[in-house]
Amino acid sequence: MSGAAIAARGLAKRFGPVTALRDLDLDVERGSVLAVLGPNGAGKSTLLGLVAGLMRPTAGSLRVNGQEPRARTTRAAVGFIGHATFLYPDLTARENLRFAARLFGVPNPEARVEALLEDYDLARYGQRRAGTFSQGMAHRLSIARGLVHDPDIVLLDEPFAGLDRTAAARLGTRLREVRGGGRTVVLVTHDLARAAELADAAIVLSGGACVHHTGRGEFSPAALERAYLAAVDGAT
Amino acid sequence: MNVLLAVLWKDLLSEWRRRDRVLAMLLFSLLVVAVFHFALVGVSDAQLRASVPGLLWIAFLFASVLGFNRAFALELENDALSGLALAPADPGWIFLGKATANFLLLVVVQAVTAAVFGVAFDLALAPIALRLAGIVALGSVGLTLVGTLFAAVAVRTRYREVMLPLLMLPVLMPVLIGAVQATAALFGGEGVAAGSLRLLLVFDLVYLIVSFLIFEYVLDE
Repeated sequence: MSGAAIAARGLAKRFGPVTALRDLDLDVERGSVLAVLGPNGAGKSTLLGLVAGLMRPTAGSLRVNGQEPRARTTRAAVGFIGHATFLYPDLTARENLRFAARLFGVPNPEARVEALLEDYDLARYGQRRAGTFSQGMAHRLSIARGLVHDPDIVLLDEPFAGLDRTAAARLGTRLREVRGGGRTVVLVTHDLARAAELADAAIVLSGGACVHHTGRGEFSPAALERAYLAAVDGAT
Repeated sequence: MNVLLAVLWKDLLSEWRRRDRVLAMLLFSLLVVAVFHFALVGVSDAQLRASVPGLLWIAFLFASVLGFNRAFALELENDALSGLALAPADPGWIFLGKATANFLLLVVVQAVTAAVFGVAFDLALAPIALRLAGIVALGSVGLTLVGTLFAAVAVRTRYREVMLPLLMLPVLMPVLIGAVQATAALFGGEGVAAGSLRLLLVFDLVYLIVSFLIFEYVLDE
């Protein structure tokens, strides 16, 4: 498939009187990793929610894989790993993955679930209820859940938040694997070092507007840091 | 259809592990039976027969409000509702999965409540059991469809416990009227009026279609 994996033109989202995102133009190349940075309330999670089809834009257009984000084929191609884990605490890890596999119509779900449990070091805990998991284990299970249908586009909303150093390092390794699979990744983070390490393009949002854009091939961690710090200082 | 079955399986399994929803519904409806059992001491047989259909549906209705509220509260933990909304399927199937689970749990509560009602008020339910089950099923489909839809609407509001009955009770009036009239005719020994059953059937069909179609907008953040 040719063209941008994600293309936004004049994209805006308002919640009542609050403008969460305004007039955003964006192209995310297929197979690239885009870091989305910005202070709290900049519109980062709103952007992911729009791409995931969880909300509708107030104005502008948004195409994901050339289609409307809420189209079934688009949803089948997008994996969303959010702030929250989307897990059911009363179901075991295996049951949570099995449920997600059935929601996404994964062929041969049992084999896929077992493979994911193995890949994410959760095979030993497959029969344990998700509600008993530590934050790090729940994070891993949440990522496995988001990738259960092997999506082309992966949306990650602050995946390092609340993790200790070991868990964050382990998650970084997982994300490099996700990136290595040729997927398009949009990574929302406050962690500049992680963004510089994982991304090959970046935008900085502030007050719902894009204040910095570095395309693929022109990625500069120093410029990104300056833009990010200016956005954070401007917001405080 | 796969999504319906997946959501149904997940909801029933969660309920089996917790059992808090069915227990709360049962406790409430049995409490209603107990209260009315003591309140109606000394009334004549005829008065009792006239009161029982309304009392039965009061127990069903308020037990269902408790259960429906809890059904979507479960989806708020870890924002699982957004996880559901990401599924590449018509959201109407998610609604039907939730509604079917709610219906089955309500049926369990209704069966126990009706049996206890029969014993408490010395009613001979066996001869009318099948027809009563049919009326209760028709009424409960409408009750469940409206309750599940409005529980999904109310769950993201601040006062969801209060919002659900406020939203659903006015809409349910046709169901309650039809169900109580049909049940009263059955207990009164008359034939069940076709008009009441038609009312229930039409309401069920309308809300089945409407809920399936609009659930997509209910899921919007």
